[in-house]
Amino acid sequence: MGLTGLEIFKQLPKKNCKECGQPTCLAFAMQLAAGKASLDACPYVSDAAREALDSASAPPIALIKIGAGEKALELGNETVLFRHEKRFEHPTAVTIQVSDNEDVKAKVEKINKLVFELVGQIHQVSMVAVANDSGDASKFADAVKTAQENTAYPLLLISSDVAAIEAALEVAGANKPVVYAADENNYEAMVNAAKKYDAPLVVKGNDLESLAALVEKVAALGYKNLILDSGARETSKVLQDQTQIRRQALKLFRPFGYPTIAFANNADPIVESLNASAFTAKYAGIVVVNSAEPQHILPILTLRLNVYTDPQKPIAVESKVYEILNPGPDAPVLITTNFSLSYFCVAGDTEGARQPAYIVTVDTDGISVLTAWAAGKFTPETIADTVKNLGVMDKVNHKKIIIPGGVAVLSGKTAELTGLEVIVGPGESAGLPSFFKKQWNQ
Amino acid sequence: MFEIIGERINGLFIDIREAIKNKDPKPLQDWAVKQAEAGAYWLDVNTGPVASKEEQAEIMAWMVKVTQEAADLPCCIDTTNWMAMEEGLKVHKGKAMINSTTAEQAKMDALFPMAANYGAAIVALTMNEKGVPKSAEDRSALAMELLANADAYGISPIDLYIDPLVLPCNVAQEHGPEVLEAIRQIKLLSNPAPKTTCGLSNISQKCPNRPLINRTMLAMAMVCGMDSAVMDACDDELVDVAATASIILNQSIYCDSYAKIFRQR
Amino acid sequence: MAVNIIKERWTSKVAESTLGPDGLKIGGESTLPFMHFEGEMPNRPVTALEVFDMEPADWPEMLKAPYADVLGDPVAWAKKVVDLGADMVALRLMSAHPDWKNASAEEVAKTAKAVADAISVPLIVIGCGVEEKDGEILPVVAEALEGKKALIGCVTQANYKSITAAANGYGHNLIASTPLDINLCKQLNILISEMGLPLDRIAFDPLVGALGYGIEYAYSIMERARLGALTGDKTLATPVVCFVGQEAWKAKEAKDPDVPEWGPQDERAILWETTTATTFAIAGGTIFILRHPESNKRFKAFIDESMKA
Repeated sequence: MGLTGLEIFKQLPKKNCKECGQPTCLAFAMQLAAGKASLDACPYVSDAAREALDSASAPPIALIKIGAGEKALELGNETVLFRHEKRFEHPTAVTIQVSDNEDVKAKVEKINKLVFELVGQIHQVSMVAVANDSGDASKFADAVKTAQENTAYPLLLISSDVAAIEAALEVAGANKPVVYAADENNYEAMVNAAKKYDAPLVVKGNDLESLAALVEKVAALGYKNLILDSGARETSKVLQDQTQIRRQALKLFRPFGYPTIAFANNADPIVESLNASAFTAKYAGIVVVNSAEPQHILPILTLRLNVYTDPQKPIAVESKVYEILNPGPDAPVLITTNFSLSYFCVAGDTEGARQPAYIVTVDTDGISVLTAWAAGKFTPETIADTVKNLGVMDKVNHKKIIIPGGVAVLSGKTAELTGLEVIVGPGESAGLPSFFKKQWNQ
Repeated sequence: MFEIIGERINGLFIDIREAIKNKDPKPLQDWAVKQAEAGAYWLDVNTGPVASKEEQAEIMAWMVKVTQEAADLPCCIDTTNWMAMEEGLKVHKGKAMINSTTAEQAKMDALFPMAANYGAAIVALTMNEKGVPKSAEDRSALAMELLANADAYGISPIDLYIDPLVLPCNVAQEHGPEVLEAIRQIKLLSNPAPKTTCGLSNISQKCPNRPLINRTMLAMAMVCGMDSAVMDACDDELVDVAATASIILNQSIYCDSYAKIFRQR
Repeated sequence: MAVNIIKERWTSKVAESTLGPDGLKIGGESTLPFMHFEGEMPNRPVTALEVFDMEPADWPEMLKAPYADVLGDPVAWAKKVVDLGADMVALRLMSAHPDWKNASAEEVAKTAKAVADAISVPLIVIGCGVEEKDGEILPVVAEALEGKKALIGCVTQANYKSITAAANGYGHNLIASTPLDINLCKQLNILISEMGLPLDRIAFDPLVGALGYGIEYAYSIMERARLGALTGDKTLATPVVCFVGQEAWKAKEAKDPDVPEWGPQDERAILWETTTATTFAIAGGTIFILRHPESNKRFKAFIDESMKA
């Protein structure tokens, strides 16, 4: 990301000495912005200005790496406020908190079991947080050790006691856990502890102002492997602070140029789950909850999948035969693409019409009916191959398939290739109920 | 969103000159309404030549006042007479636009504080005492000076409308590509970028086919980053070009009635 | 280091609409959802619970249970959802569906009038979903509800003319429904307003999908529409209706009582419906049509928290 002429000009000495070969500092700034000159040509630029100009070429939100091994993850490098502008890069790390006062092994094992299949992919939580509720450093280190031995997830170490953090890092530091947190009172010691293992460190303020001030102090100690906590815990405040931090970071306000953490922990697990989902959609890099119950976690992971989907790349469902409402041998066979929304619409409207049916999704790389047709991915050949390979006609006692109305032109060739009767369905899935009534069930 | 600055309330036009002479608000107000309905976002107000500065200031105040009585739009106060500028600003409702300063230090030092004081936007021309530069680079260098000075006076780049000076294509053809390139460069000078504007019909001075040349220039300039233009808001096809270019550049959300909606903002 | 709180200079706002005999206000936001530091959110997002004019055929047991004693009686059902805390009643005229009872316009209008007379909160009336039939019944319903300032829908490109004329004549607001396409949504708002119904009497329905079932499409449409509204696009500045209950309860995650690896249905289903709603709330939704009373309660509690400055 290049700097603009005005931003560079503000850092120059404005002496108009001409020693750089340009008539004015302004002209020099423009040459620099255009990449046609080097800052070294200016003999009077201050070190502070030089550093400001150097750091300005860094991305607006730093990339932070957490953990080791196959479950290691990355946060940051985000470039937009709204997913429709481009896409969100790194999905929120959904993190479940364990207390060093409870049976760590039992809860961690429960967390390990939170594995869900969503649209053909495996989705899991991202981290385990261990909280030093006992206030005892060695108990904390033991809990961290137990957690580490029983899960491959990266850890988040929660304690305001530097000694407890140091003890825990001795156990787990090599695996790059997140250290929580450096605050106004302990930041120097926390920075030293985290630095030793190059572990990401959360900087915790009481509000945006104090957070920015503390990040500056931590950065002055030479540590930039950071994650931000504005201290907000109320739903409304978290949403506002998360938005401010993202906005400011994108406008290159450097103290906020790191991923964030938000705590949704709540005694009421429904409230907790709802807040965690909202924080996931609104910019939290890490979101922390207490519950390890699947009914509370599945909605958060599902929303994360949905919001972090690249809007330019639609989600695909698996290419297979889907059975709606236990279809029998006389049920219709509907053909559509494996674009998730196409499938959901066809499935939803078929179910809504209370029509048992088979839905065959042709693999079109997840693009919609008309787009796939235009791109040559939804053709008589691909339809015929899919129908044949999936063996759907073995399940029924008729020889008819129904294709979307938008690709009526494919019916003749498809009939020829499959030897089946090809019925042209409605142009929109909303037309399915009346189609079934008027054309199929007659 | 592209901003049309309606050019018609100008003492250079005979009907407006007569109206000023007779203190008859009707022609100004008719044009205000007509331009507003046609899609104007600002209304340029220019007294035309007037004998004395004091008299011109008085006329400007009257013109701004009667124009705003008829249309709920801000004015682009167009004069080189600073006293007239200030009198116009005093009576103006809402955010006005000052038209214009150049990169001459004395002008910048007078007009930027005035803009800051009245919370007005300001048009700034990429020229100085040496005249209009030819190359895109020299135009953007002047734009940078304008921007740096405006910034020093606390004016946000989004209130600064830089005009790279469009010249007639029949006599200054070589300026065409330089102006277009300058628009591109100006949009990269700061973040947020300054706005850009121009006197569009200059491009076709004394040419046959003026409307065609204006429309073509508008589309080309918008691609480069032109945000507004002083232009004929009542040239329906010209406004259609602005509306369509806005859609193609994804500056507003498409719908089948986009051209109509563009005029209703 | 001083933090310069960035406030966007929004130039415009969402239209404010009034519903019901007592003038419930919705919309009017001059900022992004819940960004209280830079603009006003004068009215909170509101909820409606759905009431069917006949016993719903496809509702899972869990959803029928809270209404067990009123399922065949829309008036009693409507009173019940008001008692359960819904801000509005959403009456769905399912009996008019040709596949069901194919009830006449006069029959459903009578039901709508009886329900409206029994409640003091605003009434939303939803047709049977068959465009042609809705084009016939909704004008008659609109006439029967004169003076109730109801919200009537859903109108589409195919049937908006007859319904818009009736809504305008009898003082109601409309839900304009378009399939997940911001351009069509904008165009339908324009077509309706060109018939003389002001934009502040339209709410648009982008045909939302449930959590896990395409929720992100309507989410981004709402975000884009809100940005448009705040930057001066009046044709997208109408409040947004989210048919959350209808969609969420189609999802197997909500309606399937027995999937051990997803946890018990009671909490799972409520979270499915409520998360779908809260997600649209942070994107810019205004009216949330829900089905389960517990979801209504949970959603309103979330809004209470989010509305705190």
